[in-house]
Amino acid sequence: MVRFVMRRLVVLLVTLLAVSAATFAIPYASGGDPVRTILRSRVSDQALDPAAIASLRAELGLDGPIVEQYLSWLGRAAHGDFGLSFTSRTPVDQLLGSALGVSSTLAVTAIGLAFVAALPLGTLASTRPGKRVDNGVTLLTQSFVAVPEYWLAPLLVLVFSRYLGWLPSAGWRDPASLVMPALVLALRPMAYFTQVTRAAMTDVLAAPYIVAARSRGLSQSQTLLRHGLRNALLPVMTLFSLWFAGLLGGSVVVEVIFSIPGMGRLVYNAVVNHDVPLIQGGILSIVALAVIVTTATDLLYALINPAVRVRHGAV
Amino acid sequence: MALSSSVPHTPGRRVAQGAAAALRAARGRHWTLRAGAVALTAVLVILLLTPWIAPWDPAQQDLAQRLTGPGAQHWLGTDQLGRDVLSRLMYGGRFSVSIAAITLVLSAVAGTVIGAFSARRGGIVDEIVMRTTDLLISIPDVVVALFLIAAFDTGYGMLVAALTIVGWTPFARLMRGLALEINSREYIEAAEALGCSKSFIIFRHVIPNALRPVLSLSFLRFGHKLITVGGLSYLGLGVQPPDSDWGAMLLDAQPYMERVPLLVIAPGATIFLTALSVTLIGHGLELRRKKSADAG
Repeated sequence: MVRFVMRRLVVLLVTLLAVSAATFAIPYASGGDPVRTILRSRVSDQALDPAAIASLRAELGLDGPIVEQYLSWLGRAAHGDFGLSFTSRTPVDQLLGSALGVSSTLAVTAIGLAFVAALPLGTLASTRPGKRVDNGVTLLTQSFVAVPEYWLAPLLVLVFSRYLGWLPSAGWRDPASLVMPALVLALRPMAYFTQVTRAAMTDVLAAPYIVAARSRGLSQSQTLLRHGLRNALLPVMTLFSLWFAGLLGGSVVVEVIFSIPGMGRLVYNAVVNHDVPLIQGGILSIVALAVIVTTATDLLYALINPAVRVRHGAV
Repeated sequence: MALSSSVPHTPGRRVAQGAAAALRAARGRHWTLRAGAVALTAVLVILLLTPWIAPWDPAQQDLAQRLTGPGAQHWLGTDQLGRDVLSRLMYGGRFSVSIAAITLVLSAVAGTVIGAFSARRGGIVDEIVMRTTDLLISIPDVVVALFLIAAFDTGYGMLVAALTIVGWTPFARLMRGLALEINSREYIEAAEALGCSKSFIIFRHVIPNALRPVLSLSFLRFGHKLITVGGLSYLGLGVQPPDSDWGAMLLDAQPYMERVPLLVIAPGATIFLTALSVTLIGHGLELRRKKSADAG
């Protein structure tokens, strides 16, 4: 177990270093002087003032050899210092901090919603395999996966904001503005959670202790709740953290449509505006969070799993 | 496809023939397979025949006929420049579906080959490949796309590259698992004893024996690709004007959504139904494979 943990931590470290190097290289990738690239994106092509180039080069620490630049950038990045955003002239870490809070709230709400809907749906489907209920749940979940969020979101806005006036069409002020974005984001995880719950419940329901419980005279619903669902929860719980990591930075479309000041929209705007420090800080933190959460989940699962197996065997 | 045969001007009959063929092929299968196959065949036939059956030129503007809504002349109405929505939908679909299909094939081929080699080699190569798939799977697709666009700018090459880079990993994982199992079979041992090379064994024995699961995964992933292509276009990072796909049509239609809701409803519903039909096929194939695996 100790060796397993150590190995995963080494892999985590190597991955993070590789990702940081790739992020650092973004302004160099198009094969030119990053300072000129940056300036050209802000002023028109012709009048590049040499003094401006020199001062920006110094501001960005781009006047040394590239390995030295990378190491000093990495050192500052490790402390959360990515410099100033080009467009807003505020420190990137402040922007990231507030955006991260917003995206976390959104992600947790969406996944919670998905979870609450998926458990009964998946359980229902697993009790009547191949029957009408099961087929209905299949069609429903496949539809949730196939709905483009950039279609559903405008339609919801049209109906609930424009026609009915029940919900705000955009922004991030009160809980009401959370409803539509969370609902749209919840559909895909809901579909996956339902499928996983159905599969896990199908396995659990075939286990000897379920048959034993039924033969002791427990009702179908008691068996499902006390023995079935509890044992099917573990695989669903691991999905929770993976989807959380994915939604932190992956909800770009929804955040853009609803003007939500979260991570996805922040990085999207940064890319559109060629705001290099913000792009680097945003992408590096999204990826780092995703990788760390994934590793932590793997470790936890490995920690829990043998215990679970022993408990199952003992029943 | 056998659709490029001699008579080009009988689209109606061909649609009927195609649908009938799909129905025959799908009879007796799981219902998801049947429904998906019929719908997908219809979409593909329409997109293939678009140059002959589209009622209008998709770029032809008519400012006197802006935002008309559905009518006899323009079945799905016109957009903000008076262009025919149905024709734009048909031509746009050729972009959406072909980009999704090309990147899917590239992803499947790359992932399958990488996965098979990774399983065959083992050791440090396998470790690096698997950790790379772990990394790419944990990062949201759109973030990878944003990263590449930030570094290299937009364009068709970029779009295909981005979608392939995020797309090969599930295939590599699937193939690696299958290959590890196939590698332990006797016919592989026999091939090794006969002195066959590693790549010969991989391409002649391992990959052909893993094709069915790879096929059903391809169908399951297609809908996802289609939605991602549209999403990037919707964000203005995918298909660039003057070309336009279903995602770009949605973006264009947004400001006029209240006046003519159909402008938003039509392209989105098309993406949804196409993605759904392909996903249903994948689901059906997967069920059939599991059933025959259980039986055999």
